[in-house]
Amino acid sequence: MQANFMTSVTVRIAGANGDGVESSGALLMKLAAKNGMQAFGYRGYQSIIRGGHVWFQVRIGDSDERLRSHGNSIDVLIALNQDGIANQASHLSENAAVVYDPDKVKVDSLDSSKYRLVPVQMLEIAVRVSGDPIMRNTVAIGSAMKIIGIDFKIFESVITAMFSRKGNKIVENNIKAAKEGFDSVKFEKMHSIKSDGRQRYMLDGNTALAIGAYASGCNFYSAYPMTPASSILHWFAAHADRGVFFKQTEDEIAAINMAVGAANTGVRAMCGTSGGGFSLMVEGLGFAGMLEVPLVVVESQRTGPSTGLPTKTEQGDLLFVMHASQGEFPRIVVSPRSVEEAFYIGSEAFNLAERYQCPVIILMDLYISEHVETVDGFDIDAISIDRGKVATSNPESGKFKRYLYTEDGISPRSHPGTPGTEFVAPSDEHDEYGDLVSDALSGIDRYVEVRRKMMRKRMTKIDTMLKNEKIFVPSIYKEDSDFFLVTFGSTTEPAMEAAELLSGKGFKTGVISFSYLMPLDKDKVRKMLEGRKLIDVEVNYTAQLAQVIMMNTGIEIEKRVLEYDGEAVTGEGIAEKALPLLKEFSR
Amino acid sequence: MVIEATTKQVYASGVKPIWCPGCGDYGVFAAITKALTDLKVDKSNAVIVSGIGCSSAMPQTFGTYGIHSLHGRLLPVASGVKLANHDLTVIGTGGDGDGYGIGVGHLIHTARRNIDLTYIVMDNETYGLTTGQTSPTAIMGHKTKSTPFGAIEMPVSPLALAISAGATYVARGFSGDTVHLAELIKGAIQHKGFALVDVFSPCVTFNHDNTYEWFRPRIYKLDQSNHDPSNLGAAFEKAVEDSQTKWEKIPIGLFYKTDRPSYEELDITLKNGPLVKQAMPTKEQIMRMLEEHK
Ligand SMILES: Cc1ncc(C[n+]2csc(CCOP(=O)(O)OP(=O)(O)O)c2C)c(N)n1
Ligand code: SF4
Ligand SMILES: [Mg+2]
Repeated sequence: MQANFMTSVTVRIAGANGDGVESSGALLMKLAAKNGMQAFGYRGYQSIIRGGHVWFQVRIGDSDERLRSHGNSIDVLIALNQDGIANQASHLSENAAVVYDPDKVKVDSLDSSKYRLVPVQMLEIAVRVSGDPIMRNTVAIGSAMKIIGIDFKIFESVITAMFSRKGNKIVENNIKAAKEGFDSVKFEKMHSIKSDGRQRYMLDGNTALAIGAYASGCNFYSAYPMTPASSILHWFAAHADRGVFFKQTEDEIAAINMAVGAANTGVRAMCGTSGGGFSLMVEGLGFAGMLEVPLVVVESQRTGPSTGLPTKTEQGDLLFVMHASQGEFPRIVVSPRSVEEAFYIGSEAFNLAERYQCPVIILMDLYISEHVETVDGFDIDAISIDRGKVATSNPESGKFKRYLYTEDGISPRSHPGTPGTEFVAPSDEHDEYGDLVSDALSGIDRYVEVRRKMMRKRMTKIDTMLKNEKIFVPSIYKEDSDFFLVTFGSTTEPAMEAAELLSGKGFKTGVISFSYLMPLDKDKVRKMLEGRKLIDVEVNYTAQLAQVIMMNTGIEIEKRVLEYDGEAVTGEGIAEKALPLLKEFSR
Repeated sequence: MVIEATTKQVYASGVKPIWCPGCGDYGVFAAITKALTDLKVDKSNAVIVSGIGCSSAMPQTFGTYGIHSLHGRLLPVASGVKLANHDLTVIGTGGDGDGYGIGVGHLIHTARRNIDLTYIVMDNETYGLTTGQTSPTAIMGHKTKSTPFGAIEMPVSPLALAISAGATYVARGFSGDTVHLAELIKGAIQHKGFALVDVFSPCVTFNHDNTYEWFRPRIYKLDQSNHDPSNLGAAFEKAVEDSQTKWEKIPIGLFYKTDRPSYEELDITLKNGPLVKQAMPTKEQIMRMLEEHK
């Protein structure tokens, strides 16, 4: 299925680890963005540092249309080695241009009547121009620019900005190499992408989330490295000279417990990991729930179970993060649907955590954490800070009641250092003061009642948040449609793309998507879904969102598109699988 | 004397401890109280953090701030408190199972970070709260419910472990001598860096081997024996003297003390003051972060 509702070109650079595939992809994205186009990049990689087969896919699109996925079939392939041809041939679209180095790579396997073969002597040019073989990537980028239709002047300005610190020679060599690549393409541009000369932001979901957290005053991040969450810690570490604190801990157990200690002390604290690390954090999560500490936890999913496919994506941890920990306590689970939304959620999570004094879990995945896209703008005026109920003195004489019974379930919290509001935050069940009712008192009538009341106090916060916030419902895209794809988190944008494609096929399709997943406003969710023709779309095996919907509303979505091969879904991929299901409805 | 009594009460919460009569942890409570009183620590600036165990019931007995955390997670929680606000006096209080068993990994890393914490371990060579199982410090041959035929594992040497991990103040006390113990705790609180105070704190209910009576004739004080706490080699030697002498000679006192900048002094962000007191970013600063991605 070809996307025909918009113009975009998908470029895939394929080679081995260490070939500079990723930096070339990033450069190409930058060139497109500087040229006033939209860009979307995703890398396919493995857990080895050298060798293997890696690729970086850049999709470049019209300035006035948001790109919603990294694209399905390849319009321009840059094969840096023979594997680049062998592994990617099946992904080529009709008429695709294949850029390769004839001195290194054989293309006999490709049907030259179907593809546009573009031999470019990358290595020869690189060595001749600069003496540096790695410059062959620059040559290839030059060729790609010509094919896509990016103005060469853009290259000069981007490279000058990037390398001017390294000296003129480097800049000149880059320009010469790219120009020869550009000129090696003997035909005119194959694509016409609209550009508007506007400068867009270009970032990945983890970076957007980290900056969002920073914007809301989060200055404490603790983590243990784990793909695909690591780039959040890289961001915090890199900005330590601008007022954010990062601690790499000995393990994820320490990461979450440190964050709990910090949050209880009054900073906006966050910890982050992937599913494996989250498994270690589970006891700490319940600890935060019991202490009523405002804690933000990021869980960026990768393909499981166990170590799974460490560099591949999945949405397999939804039910896990919703139910992780013994016992019951309020928590908020939210899964950003786009890079842009990751920024706002990264910030709002702290308001919610502090307003309701409970853990907020931001459920990311490798796709949204790591893919890079252009964003038109961020509205930082939309960011507000609400620190919830904070006691700065003891309103009563006597001991401070940190866990005061209140109607909305929220008790004023105090921070160490404040005179008069001293209390001990306990992981055991406790009374209003925080004094334990566990060891010596449990089972005595009066304390049985304390347990009941304290449990009810904590759990009441769920009703309060459902009453006060408008966020615990899905969004609807193209409301007047006949069919709806139902999905959450990072699959939302590809699903929207799929909906467009399906609508183009005569099936008017919209999308109902969830970012906030726990708690849910059951009645509103039911009303939105009831009586509609629905297809559940998720990147996991057991349709976890459909299970959540069933649990909350009793509605069972029987038709499902489920992917669990580790690869990121695209609009075309979803549409292809949804189409036969849509036809079943019409029968 | 009257004045001292009322000052001490400043630190008491009025919560009755759960400990059995005669439990060593009462002595540790008394010693911590004395140390806080002598040093005039501001009650609202002190945070006592524990794990889980009989010994970890300590924070509730004080009217300071505190966190009664998870089994074995005392040190990361206490680190989080200190890193968020290093103006606070943060004291960890836990058991041997908590600190040398389930949480031993954190001990090594907190020590090498040299975060300015005081960590008091009530070492009763057993798991009190769970009714007497073997512990990482149980001496070989010691019989418990989980080792009815006697322990066959070598006990850890917490002091040697802490010294080798980079702790900058390493001491051991005895809850049968609270005056001596209070001095060690005072030194630990005043020390800038990670301080471990291991305390023999007998469990009168579940450990009938390592009793007050067993300790008394074996224990001797380092400060009365020419030990130089700045001497790393000597410190190691003293740290393992107990097991080397088959528990005939057990030194207590200050084993090791050295000056190394604390984590808070070295960290590029914390150097500018406690995190909790640092300003929220301005709109301009947020914009600048975003502009890096244009
Ligand atoms: C994760 C976890 N595992 C096990 C327990 C049960 N538990 C509670 S206290 C304890 C051991 C206590 O021994 P120690 O730390 O030496 O403290 P003591 O009671 O001897 O003072 C154990 C195993 C727990 N609370 N949490
Ligand atoms: S069981 Fe042992 S450690 Fe626990 S309170 Fe009793 S004497 Fe103390
Ligand atoms: Mg013990």
